[in-house]
Amino acid sequence: MKPILLQGHERSITQIKYNREGDLLFTVAKDTVANVWYSVNGERLGTYNGHTGAVWCVDCDWDTKNVLTGSADNSCRLWDCETGKQLAMLNTSSAVRTCGFDFSGNIIMFSTDKQMGYQLKEHSKQINDIQTSVDLTMVITASKDCSSKLFDSTTLDHIKTFKTERPVNSAAISPIMDHVVMGGGQEAMEVTTTSTRIGKFEARFFHAAYEEEFGRVKGHFGPINCVAFHPDGKSYSSGGEDGYTRIHYFDPQYFDFELEA
Amino acid sequence: MNMHDTEDMPPDVDYDEDEPSFSDPEDFVDDIDDEELLGDLLREKPQEADGIDSVIVVDNVPQVGPERLEKLKNVIHKIFSKFGKITNEFYPEGPDGSTKGYIFLEYGAPTQALDAVKNADGYKLDKQHTFRVNVFTDFDKYMNICDEWETPEKQPFKDFGNMRHWMEDPDCRDQYSVIYESGERTAIFNNDPKDPIVAEERARWTETYVRWSPKGTYLATFHQRGIALWGGEKFKQIQRFSHQGVSLIDFSPCERYVVTFSPLMDTKEDPQAIIIWDILTGQKKRGFHCESSAHWPIFKWSHDGKFFARMTQDTLSIYETPSMGLLDKKSLKISGIKDFSWSPGDNIIAFWVPEDKDIPARVTLMQLPSRQEIRVRNLFNVVDCKLHWQRQGDYLCVKVDRTPKGTQGVVTNFEIFRMREKQVPVDVVEMKGDPESKNAFAWEPNGSKFAVLHGESPRINASFYHVKNNGKIELIKMFDKQQANSIFWSPQGQFMVLAGLRSMNGALAFVDTSDCTMMNIAEHYMASDVEWDPTGRYVVTSVSWWSHKVDNAYWLWTFQGRLLQKNNKDRFCQLLWRPRPPTLLPLDAIKAIKKDLKKYSKIFEQKDRLSQSKASKELVDKRRSMMEDYRRYREAALLQHQEQKAARLELRGGVDTDELDSNIDDWEEETIEFFINEEIIPLGE
Repeated sequence: MKPILLQGHERSITQIKYNREGDLLFTVAKDTVANVWYSVNGERLGTYNGHTGAVWCVDCDWDTKNVLTGSADNSCRLWDCETGKQLAMLNTSSAVRTCGFDFSGNIIMFSTDKQMGYQLKEHSKQINDIQTSVDLTMVITASKDCSSKLFDSTTLDHIKTFKTERPVNSAAISPIMDHVVMGGGQEAMEVTTTSTRIGKFEARFFHAAYEEEFGRVKGHFGPINCVAFHPDGKSYSSGGEDGYTRIHYFDPQYFDFELEA
Repeated sequence: MNMHDTEDMPPDVDYDEDEPSFSDPEDFVDDIDDEELLGDLLREKPQEADGIDSVIVVDNVPQVGPERLEKLKNVIHKIFSKFGKITNEFYPEGPDGSTKGYIFLEYGAPTQALDAVKNADGYKLDKQHTFRVNVFTDFDKYMNICDEWETPEKQPFKDFGNMRHWMEDPDCRDQYSVIYESGERTAIFNNDPKDPIVAEERARWTETYVRWSPKGTYLATFHQRGIALWGGEKFKQIQRFSHQGVSLIDFSPCERYVVTFSPLMDTKEDPQAIIIWDILTGQKKRGFHCESSAHWPIFKWSHDGKFFARMTQDTLSIYETPSMGLLDKKSLKISGIKDFSWSPGDNIIAFWVPEDKDIPARVTLMQLPSRQEIRVRNLFNVVDCKLHWQRQGDYLCVKVDRTPKGTQGVVTNFEIFRMREKQVPVDVVEMKGDPESKNAFAWEPNGSKFAVLHGESPRINASFYHVKNNGKIELIKMFDKQQANSIFWSPQGQFMVLAGLRSMNGALAFVDTSDCTMMNIAEHYMASDVEWDPTGRYVVTSVSWWSHKVDNAYWLWTFQGRLLQKNNKDRFCQLLWRPRPPTLLPLDAIKAIKKDLKKYSKIFEQKDRLSQSKASKELVDKRRSMMEDYRRYREAALLQHQEQKAARLELRGGVDTDELDSNIDDWEEETIEFFINEEIIPLGE
């Protein structure tokens, strides 16, 4: 099925997030804008305006009532999801890199450039993204060292490793299949060659148990910065350096595909 | 005016009358010796033995009586003052008054004496008298040789094992070296079509890069202090050559000698820029000056290692081994010589000289060691020439760029010398197109075809020619609009790869020249190098970190252009196949094997099929066990997840969110519009 192209940002996408039920997709970018879209047809619902710097992160609570964004303008803002009204603003001393709601939606967390939490020295270069599985039992990391690792959430045991030859910017775990998807690419500075490489930045699919790559999806014109599975596992989205977000619905063959075992 | 006598000055009242004593104190012990105080003066003190180095002894001098002595002295003077001023002479006389037949001459400097020895020794004065000239000090040396003969101490035998061990691989895997992590790690792999198998891997094995010897016996690594050679099954260090700051090396084709170059060490008295070493003994054989290493190797070896030569301004110097001395004790004066190269099959040198006033440019083929010119070819209006030998020395191609009289443009001709035919006939192939562009020319190894790339991008053409026995050179095929800037023939001939390296983004074309078909067209984006294995079965294309900072990897292809492996290596730098020594089989044994090829291929195919199914079985088993482990882990995690359900319900106010369809009551029906198409309809005026 042809991917749905979301054009609502003028700069590179920094993060994308589905709400719990998957009907909404939130995208934030370096252009200070936070957008929300219907994931089923790509129609834009609205925009959350207010940040004055690049927006690095976004999260939505379990009930899709509130939206949280963190930005380089040293603030973390809470919004009403439906109306777009800014409900609260937390000032920080430096840019906010990640933010999120807890399971209940009552607690907010964020991290800035200056504060860091528990450190896990599993990767040899910086970790670009961490996402949980939909049931929160597993965590997947994406690193500049060209690999992505799967951990158990409770024990933080390292379970699987997925290797590529490009730095990985983001990784996500499928809610229904034993698959993970990874997106990445060369650093923006190193992308010096043009034209011959149109549309050659790919999202890669790995089998979670075998650690083997089984598929790639092309389409982005620049490195992929963020990937996310729809909570029902029937589609996934990717946001890129090119400012586009692409929603892909899987063909039936995707669900039947099996590696010989 | 009166002069006054010298008068004593009136005594100074304040001056102390007593002179200070200059004697040593009573208990002074003189512990400084003359050497310390006056060392430099003492050194200049004339020694008894001074001047002996400048004395020569001449034997076989005619014995003459006193009446002819004056004449003899004149003759001797005439001959020997050529080498310097004779400061002293002594003509010993026998009891009968005539000279004894040997004389002593002294020069102003030892160098003059040496000169006299070098040049006058063996001088034929007349039929009966041939001078023998020696330095006087040599007599001393020979007289003092110990009477007792001491057997030199036996050096323990260093067993490096089977130096050809890699050739005995049961599956005939060739080896290749890989440098990666920007030079930090070097590894040797056995090439297996499935996956490379590590034979050896070391950190900081070399400081810059590596080189294999021509027959594959040694691996040379570079270090600040010199180079090291490794070999044998375990790659032990075989030999070490100390040459501070070495930057370039070259092996003789026979693997007996290695030539090293360092820009650092070079003095007038002791030439050290280029050193030639004997590999087996580790000895330094000879050192040479070198102005610039721009065209390495400076010394070019003959195919059998018997000679090596270099070109300097108007001179061709040819040396022979193992003496390391100039052939016939002198260099060849070839005015204007521009370039030379050895035939890879015979001891023949080809060189060319540009136009000089009204003497046309010419290419000369010279046989060695006789120095006989076996062929000379005149060329007119020449701008430049390049020499290309075919791998076996069967043909020489001289690529000539000329400006024909009366025209402005430059035209390219290929002069093909047929070396195996009597009197070496030359055929000419004219090339159309602009030779200014970087063209490539390559002979087919083991064959009689050659390939040429000509033209400017994007209209680069690849032409294939066959040099036939009947005197004709036939254009077999021309492919146009190729993305190629380099030609890589398989070392066994017939197959080749046309590659567009670096700026042409790694376009690859695999060609079978037996019928000039394109077997496959592919791409290895930003490939910087192409290397055939020594058997011609595999090709490696690679992206070196030295030329491109991302996607550093080497890919393995079959000779037909089927991609087998993609090997990513962090900061991959260089891959070199290990050369194979020439086959030990005689020609008829090879013919017999080719005849029975069908029988052998059946056995090999069966072996391949077995190993393939073994591989897939291994993979399947591996996957099965991975899946089992994973399932077990997931089950345990899910169990834990279920146990926490109560906590989850509490956090979300009793709403069950474990599954998307946990709350069907909550669902709404909604009609959604899908964007299908956009049409712009201009409204009327």
